[in-house]
Amino acid sequence: MGYKRKALILNKDDFHKTLRRIAHQIIEGVPQVSKICLIGIQRRGVNLAYRLKRIIDSLEKVDIPLGTIDITLYRDDLTAIGPNPEVRSTKIDFALDGKIVILVDDVLFTGRSARAALDALMDFGRPEAVKLVVLVDRGHRQLPIRADFIGKNIPTSLQEEVAVKVEEIDGKDEVVIWEKD
Amino acid sequence: MWQRRHLLGLKDLDKKDIELILGQAEYFREIPRRQIKKVPSLRGKTVVNLFFEPSTRTRISFELAAKRLSADVINFSSSASSIQKGESILDTLKNMEAYAVDIFVIRHSFSAASVYLAQRTKACVVNAGDGANEHPTQALLDMFTVKQRLKKLTGLKVVVVGDIAYSRVARSNIWGFSHMGCEVWLCAPPTLLGRDFSALPVRITYDLRKAVKEADVIIMLRLQNERQSEKLIPSLREYRQHFGLNPDILKGARRDAVIMHPGPVNWDVEIASSLKEKIMPSILNQASNGLAVRMAVLYLLKGAAE
Amino acid sequence: MKILIKGATLVHHDRTEKKDILVKDSTIAKVSKKISSQEADEVIRASGKFVFAGFIDMHTHLRTPGREDEETLLSGALAAAKGGFTTILCMPNTTPPIDNYEIAFWIRKVSQNIGIVDIYPVGTITKERKGKELAEFGYLKEAGCLAVSDDGDPVASSLLLRRALEYAKMYNLLLISHAEEKSLAAGVMLESDISAKWGMPAIAEVAESVAVAREIELAYFTASRLHLAHISRRRSLRLIECAKKDKIGISCETCPHYFSLSVKDIERNNFHANFKVNPPLGTEDDKQAIRKALKSGVIDCIATDHAPHSFLEKEKSFQEASFGMIGLEFAFSLSYQLVKEKVLSLEVIADRLSYRPAKILGLEERGEIREGLRADLVIVDLEKEWVVDKESIVSRSKNTPFLGRKLPGVVEYTISGGKIVYKK
Repeated sequence: MGYKRKALILNKDDFHKTLRRIAHQIIEGVPQVSKICLIGIQRRGVNLAYRLKRIIDSLEKVDIPLGTIDITLYRDDLTAIGPNPEVRSTKIDFALDGKIVILVDDVLFTGRSARAALDALMDFGRPEAVKLVVLVDRGHRQLPIRADFIGKNIPTSLQEEVAVKVEEIDGKDEVVIWEKD
Repeated sequence: MWQRRHLLGLKDLDKKDIELILGQAEYFREIPRRQIKKVPSLRGKTVVNLFFEPSTRTRISFELAAKRLSADVINFSSSASSIQKGESILDTLKNMEAYAVDIFVIRHSFSAASVYLAQRTKACVVNAGDGANEHPTQALLDMFTVKQRLKKLTGLKVVVVGDIAYSRVARSNIWGFSHMGCEVWLCAPPTLLGRDFSALPVRITYDLRKAVKEADVIIMLRLQNERQSEKLIPSLREYRQHFGLNPDILKGARRDAVIMHPGPVNWDVEIASSLKEKIMPSILNQASNGLAVRMAVLYLLKGAAE
Repeated sequence: MKILIKGATLVHHDRTEKKDILVKDSTIAKVSKKISSQEADEVIRASGKFVFAGFIDMHTHLRTPGREDEETLLSGALAAAKGGFTTILCMPNTTPPIDNYEIAFWIRKVSQNIGIVDIYPVGTITKERKGKELAEFGYLKEAGCLAVSDDGDPVASSLLLRRALEYAKMYNLLLISHAEEKSLAAGVMLESDISAKWGMPAIAEVAESVAVAREIELAYFTASRLHLAHISRRRSLRLIECAKKDKIGISCETCPHYFSLSVKDIERNNFHANFKVNPPLGTEDDKQAIRKALKSGVIDCIATDHAPHSFLEKEKSFQEASFGMIGLEFAFSLSYQLVKEKVLSLEVIADRLSYRPAKILGLEERGEIREGLRADLVIVDLEKEWVVDKESIVSRSKNTPFLGRKLPGVVEYTISGGKIVYKK
């Protein structure tokens, strides 16, 4: 069974506009910019966090700390028989205590990744608050989790896949919906 | 992707497998630096360290690796056990298995004991040293250290010196480094080398100066004092003279050569104590690298355990 | 009681022929072109089948007394009968060892009472097999021993072995030597690329040939009869061939596993302890040399070195398990396999399994199908094949590397001393 492309949700321009809008919303929503740090969830959340940092840094003339987090070791959905997914880099080389952590992911779906990311973050220290940024919220939550900043809400069916592509990994910035064939 | 159920040795792994383990180990190095040095990846899993031969360092390393992954760990050592009452190693394993063990970490003084037990259990098995056969995680950590220092693992000249015939560390390193495309040299008196090593992918010399020349990696093995009784060499003095690493011999190696030793070192026998300051950091580094490598191995095998 | 075997092909050590055999009581009464069924009480219709003189195994371990859980005289005799053997020699490495008249006599008498196949105890060379003082060869002979051996603990002192050879000559006892230089044999498998690869303690190839050389020299020097057990190495065969040319009074045996398996099979079978045996399985080169020597006659006979071990002794890792494998029930099929592979002829099989062992042991009434000799006969179907499985093994122990293997040639009848002792 394969997937076929159903619709283009964000093209390159929309993608960039959306990121800029989110950056503005963060600055507006978190007045103490000095307390902000960005942490991207592996893999594409890392690239999105870096983009947001560049925008916020230039708008506010600051250098926001940026980290990456891999949630593989915290996942609760690895019970299926089969090899474990590969672990990727976690790098948070600043203290989290008292910080307002902006956690960045590409898609919010069941909420399990965000749950795992929160667990992982807590092992690094005690932030003052954690806010969640996602480029796409596609619904179907299984846990009581919501995002604070959302690029685009896309109602989807479970037959569909939302693919966020970024220049650094996929060669282009766009969001596409695929449908099971 | 890791598909194997056991890690019994490096002889039957390939380059990809080794690269995967070492690549994964890289990411596990960061965990002990966290405020909470623990991840929940093996939560609810049971790891049994089944040690039929005394060992402190390897056992501690595996125990800590499993605990940092949140597994429940049980340590079994034969000195405090029913083995002395005549229970076979298979019975011991089977009795433990009844507690729904997921991973056995096995150390035994008999060669290929890990192969024997792995074939008879549903759990995963990690070989923590069996006789003179293999000690795969030790070699993996050696390779990890080399990769860290030299930024590469292929095309290196690797020299293994000393009590090779009886060394599982030597064997695992021979397999591991040759799978990675290194040129492996063995250097030892014939009595410590055995006759049939030429069948392995190695080059052999009795001349340490020649072996060390242009070497990138020098692995010095521990001269087992107990073996002295077998009169494999006439004296430690003569051994030191011809097979001991000293500053003069070391000049022939590459400047950035990595010197390793599975420890504990017999200073002034296999390595001159004047090299202590130069070598100790890489020996101590083994502890933290060993932990990362063992965490990676346990994590990868856990996928196969489910 | 008269038994007629009708229509079979008789395999002699030097020819085959189609003849009928009439057995009367314990002897072969008549061998002739056509014998009428009326002459017999029982007729075995055997057209298409082959008849050999009952096989003689110069080397078995029956574990009695001491380890009757592994084998008894009865279970050993049944296993022998199933394998086509009608005469077997059992080694003295028992607990206590067969080093005196009483134990030897007891084994001989009990096995005669059982009466399935003929079992001859082999006495020890030295008391308690300790290699210090000679055992009482005279009494051992009187109790029924044909040979003496210290089995797996060969006499280390060359002086004592000289004395043993000299003393044995007086009683016409055959000295059987397990030729092994122990100091070169502190291992569990052949010293080879495979032992190096797996870090296994290894037995040097020359551990056997070094000892063979000594035995040959002492046999020459004492002009005594010496039989070399379970020869397994090419180097040993070179020495034996040379000694035979010099007319030194030696003979030797090999075992089916040395011409059927090699050290590679150990690795292929993940170091299963059933492949652990001493002398250890050799190289492919050794295997070929053994086959060649069997054909040429440098090797006189095929013996089994049947070594039963309990489940526990073998359900261990390779390094700690016991040495040895059972062989009585497979020896013929494994030998016949060499005929199928065109290495040996049927006549050579008859020679190595019956004719020559009888000659070496001085059993004048056995080893041939001839009128007037003891009626020890085995009827085989060479067309059939069978699969070795645990349930079918008659021996009390099941330790064989051939489990699951399909083997050619099935023993249909074994007649020992005129009685049908095995019938498929």
